[in-house]
Amino acid sequence: MNKFFKNILIGFESIKSNFTRVFLTSIGLTIGIFTVSIVTAAVSSIDKEFAKSIQSIGNDKIYVGRMPWSFEFDWWNYRNRPEIKEEQLEYINQYSEYITQTSMKQNYWTRASFENKASWLQMNGVYPNYGEMLTGTKVINGRFFSENEWKLQRRVVIVGGSVREGFFEGKNPLGKKIRLGGVSFEIIGELEKTGSFTPTGSLDQVIIMPSTTFQRILTRWTWNEFVLQTSPDNINKAKEEVRLIMRVARKLKPEQEDNFAVNSADAFTKQFNQMKIAIAGMGLLVTGISLIVSGIGIMNVMFVSVRERTKEIGLRKAMGATNIDILIQFLSEAIAIAIIGGVTGIMLIRSTLYFLGTAIASFDFGGIEASSIDLQMDFLLTFYTFLVCVFLGLLAGFFPARTAANLNPIDALRHE
Amino acid sequence: MTKSKKEIIGIRSVSKIYNLGDTVVKALDNVSLSIFENDFISIMGPSGSGKSTLMNIIGCLDVPTNGSYKFNNEKISEMKDSQLADIRNQKIGFVFQTFNLLPKLNALQNVEVPLVYSNLKRLKRTEKAKEALNIVGLSDRINHKPNELSGGQRQRVAIARALVNKPSIILADEPTGNLDSKSGTDILNFFDDLHKAGNTLIIVTHEQSVAKRAKRRIEIFDGKITLDE
Repeated sequence: MNKFFKNILIGFESIKSNFTRVFLTSIGLTIGIFTVSIVTAAVSSIDKEFAKSIQSIGNDKIYVGRMPWSFEFDWWNYRNRPEIKEEQLEYINQYSEYITQTSMKQNYWTRASFENKASWLQMNGVYPNYGEMLTGTKVINGRFFSENEWKLQRRVVIVGGSVREGFFEGKNPLGKKIRLGGVSFEIIGELEKTGSFTPTGSLDQVIIMPSTTFQRILTRWTWNEFVLQTSPDNINKAKEEVRLIMRVARKLKPEQEDNFAVNSADAFTKQFNQMKIAIAGMGLLVTGISLIVSGIGIMNVMFVSVRERTKEIGLRKAMGATNIDILIQFLSEAIAIAIIGGVTGIMLIRSTLYFLGTAIASFDFGGIEASSIDLQMDFLLTFYTFLVCVFLGLLAGFFPARTAANLNPIDALRHE
Repeated sequence: MTKSKKEIIGIRSVSKIYNLGDTVVKALDNVSLSIFENDFISIMGPSGSGKSTLMNIIGCLDVPTNGSYKFNNEKISEMKDSQLADIRNQKIGFVFQTFNLLPKLNALQNVEVPLVYSNLKRLKRTEKAKEALNIVGLSDRINHKPNELSGGQRQRVAIARALVNKPSIILADEPTGNLDSKSGTDILNFFDDLHKAGNTLIIVTHEQSVAKRAKRRIEIFDGKITLDE
């Protein structure tokens, strides 16, 4: 065992005496590691962001609307579909087995203003029970509107988490009057700030009000959606059930296609995964190439090292070094080169991520909370990167090391 | 030769044949040789006579094509590479014409090289290496790199390295070939001392003056021993 470690040390020592050469060789690997890490960090960061977004859609929610959540958007087909009507919700309430709660959700963008500040925000007109169905956020200040306020079409609103800063300079917005589409509304509740950006808009910039008020004051012509509550286990059964009920409600004949869409979070998951695979695939290709190139570089330098030190190998063998001893010595030299390249790469990537993170945090993405874009490289990833380096060193060093180990001591000693 | 002495090396009808394309070179032709404990032998011969081949076989760097070679009654001719390495490490000390010190290591580290492969702990290694350097009279030079030492001193470091594992024989290949006459004489005097201390020495040389120092002289020509006295 002693001998084993000493062989490794001998290998490492030769690095010291050839540091420039080793360093230049290892730069190839540094670049390789840098790209692989950037890609992995990007994918895992997108992943985390996406998980947050999905959370605010909810894995236990079904959304019925005119258009499917898809990037393959057949606009001309969908735009002619009939509007989602409140009456159809009655069918779901009456016949569905898997749906436990339902709410209308009307969407409309309008101008919101307070004193001298104004902004376009998303208005949601919903039922009183929507407060219980909120996903990804919750009322942390004040309350949701009541059944009575809904019936009486009161002008009360619950505001998203970033409204406080946007309009009230960070002060408590409760009780304040905000003007929406020119009409004054009282703020009775405030949502928790989530910082997440969902495919349907940021929850932090939303204003929620009774659907009755919404229709009376804002508009009757809105993009309606049903928000349906079920349990995550039943979501697929519930979707199929809702589809059938909707067909009945709309009196569709068997040969007619659905003129509505039943959506849930998994629509995004599928598309997102495809995107992720594409990014990761490209990254892996680039990385693979750069790893192969740097591996060849290391191999080349190792062959040079073996050649330069042929006499030393002969001497060591004459002094009793076995083939294995020499093999270990040169393998550890190759691995050390790879590790130097890899560790440099890891340090480079870490500092890059750090500066990138700071730069992004101070950049304004039109209201999206920038700090939520979170670039990450965790310990495990660093560890794997390290393993990749060791493996690459092993692979690249094997043939040169074997050449060294199999040298005939007599010829090697005679070598000048 | 007093038969009471223990035989260290027994070479019986050993041949070494090289196939160089069409030509077959008989570097050693049916050679038999016995070397006993505390022998001081010189092997002489012109270049191409086969003395280097004989050296390499005695030194377990090479194996014979035919015949048997016993070292301390162990059959070398049937050993694997790793076993040969072990014999070289434990039983044989090499001294080369060009010293063959590793330029980046200091004297002490150079002497430690064989000990690394005997799997000794670091402290034990240093202790034994210092002891060996003390024997060759270089205990005040242990931290010097080879390029900071004179030729004679370098060869003495090399001898210390050969001695450090207390080998059964010391094989010196033209040990004075690269030295001036004074340093050469010093080294040869030192070999005399080693012999008196009970070591077994084999010196390969082509200088008569060196060969005369030995107690037993072997001459080799065309792969055959022509003189053994």
